[in-house]
Amino acid sequence: MKRFALSLLMPVLLLVDVGSSLAQDGLEYRLEATEITPGVWVVEGSTESFSRENGGNIVNTAFIETDVGVVVIDSGPSRRYGEAFRALIETTTGKSITHVLITHHHPDHAFGNQAFEPETLYMLPASRELLARDGDAFSDNMYRLVGDWMRGTEIVLPPNTLEPGEWQVGNRRFRLLELTGHTGSDLVVFDETSGVLFTADMLFYDRALTTPQSPGLDVWAAELEALEALPYRWVVPGHGPVVEGDVAFRQMQDYLAWLDRTLSQAATEGLSMMEVMNLPIPERFEGVAERRHELIRTTTHLYPHYEKAALALLPE
Amino acid sequence: MRGWMALGLALLSVTVQAGFPEDPFHSPMWEYNLERYLGDDSEVVHDERVELQVPPFAEDSAQVPLTLDLTAFPEPAQRIVTWVDLNPIPHLFTYEPGADPVRLLSLNFRVQQATTVRAAVQDAEGVWHLGSAYVDAAGGGCTAPSLTSANPDWEKVFGTVRGGAFSRAEHTRYKLNVMHPMDSGMVGNTPAFYIEQVALYREGDPHPLLRLELSQSAAENPMFVFELEQEAPRSRLWMRDNNGNVFERHLGGTSS
Repeated sequence: MKRFALSLLMPVLLLVDVGSSLAQDGLEYRLEATEITPGVWVVEGSTESFSRENGGNIVNTAFIETDVGVVVIDSGPSRRYGEAFRALIETTTGKSITHVLITHHHPDHAFGNQAFEPETLYMLPASRELLARDGDAFSDNMYRLVGDWMRGTEIVLPPNTLEPGEWQVGNRRFRLLELTGHTGSDLVVFDETSGVLFTADMLFYDRALTTPQSPGLDVWAAELEALEALPYRWVVPGHGPVVEGDVAFRQMQDYLAWLDRTLSQAATEGLSMMEVMNLPIPERFEGVAERRHELIRTTTHLYPHYEKAALALLPE
Repeated sequence: MRGWMALGLALLSVTVQAGFPEDPFHSPMWEYNLERYLGDDSEVVHDERVELQVPPFAEDSAQVPLTLDLTAFPEPAQRIVTWVDLNPIPHLFTYEPGADPVRLLSLNFRVQQATTVRAAVQDAEGVWHLGSAYVDAAGGGCTAPSLTSANPDWEKVFGTVRGGAFSRAEHTRYKLNVMHPMDSGMVGNTPAFYIEQVALYREGDPHPLLRLELSQSAAENPMFVFELEQEAPRSRLWMRDNNGNVFERHLGGTSS
């Protein structure tokens, strides 16, 4: 009798065990899509830096319905994110995905590629070269920073390339732009039909901009001006909340100008790199997440150029 | 009787510990590196006035900034030794003063992994005052090939020296940059090739304003910052690498 009871219990215990180990893993992206305007959806990430808590979900991804299928913008930071994102797109729209546009080669935007059919993946040729060059190093760093969320993630280079210009998908008209300010090759997608501008990381809002591959803050600022001239209504930044109107552009231009001025002046005064990292950040940027963290990173990336420009060549 | 025994044990433990204080960072290399760079009978104290600044994390393991600010330190440094605890060759630089004491020193270093960094400043009594800091890192800076070695035209810029003197109230800050691969010797097929000696002279004076001895923890294309308690004189920079290349340049007075 006793033995019987045990054997009945065993499968129950096993089931409970499996269930709890899945729950304990706890690594589940809870993605939610918000419809900005009919058929245009955004999945907003946090404005943090990569961590084991957020699994790299610090990025905005998006999808746009057309009458021939869905156009997706960016695939997220990991295979697991990509899979959750794809499931969300399919349940939300009930349509198949025709295009996945990868805006640039940074891991938070391109590391969910595995979850999508390879023939739907598109990228600018120069961005794709950068992904081929830097992908493995980014991958090592992502495993270090976000850990187990990355399990099974491998780099997939999109087989298809994009060209800047007018681009029609079904009943929707897009304009694709190739810019350089953030990484040297940055895709911006303007949905002319709805007036939604997907700037990707050419624009950060309430989140400090990142500069590891930026050709320079002056280049970036000039391109932003051109971008702002587009007849947009809503802006979807690469990081930070979706906004109507030009408020995100105002903040970004102010922040970029402050950074450029601060680095120039520091170089003119002969400050060391470490002193620049410790400089005060104006109060008006208090709402800009990760500003100190990114000042440390940007100083590493860009200050050496400002420093050298402020020194004289010493002849022999 | 028991009291005497306890006292005896206490004395014994002091002798065994060689007088080193506890390391607040609990680095496994704490005592080893103190003995190696300062000597095993040296007197060491932690001192907040030795302000060692490094970032909380290394964005680039091959270029981690370090600034040593001695503004709050009340007397001239007789000697300064800096090292990176967990690097394969921890030593970064040793500084020896001239007539004008240094107030601030800055130089980028490499990190092989997350580590504590130390600056030891010796006072006139021979006591070492220690500043410590911790930097998190993905690492690999010591065993990554230099950017210079990836550039086929590196010889064209090799040895290029840029500099400036910046007036700061009663003091002068020198900022000097030399294009040099500073190869650590820890990358396959690339022998150690780095600047070992740096000296700054007042023009026409045979005694240096300061001397630095560098090791393999120093980063590529070093950017030196020295702030001295003096008006900017005309000066001369002299450097020599381990292959015998000598770099010598003249600096005018204060510029921007």
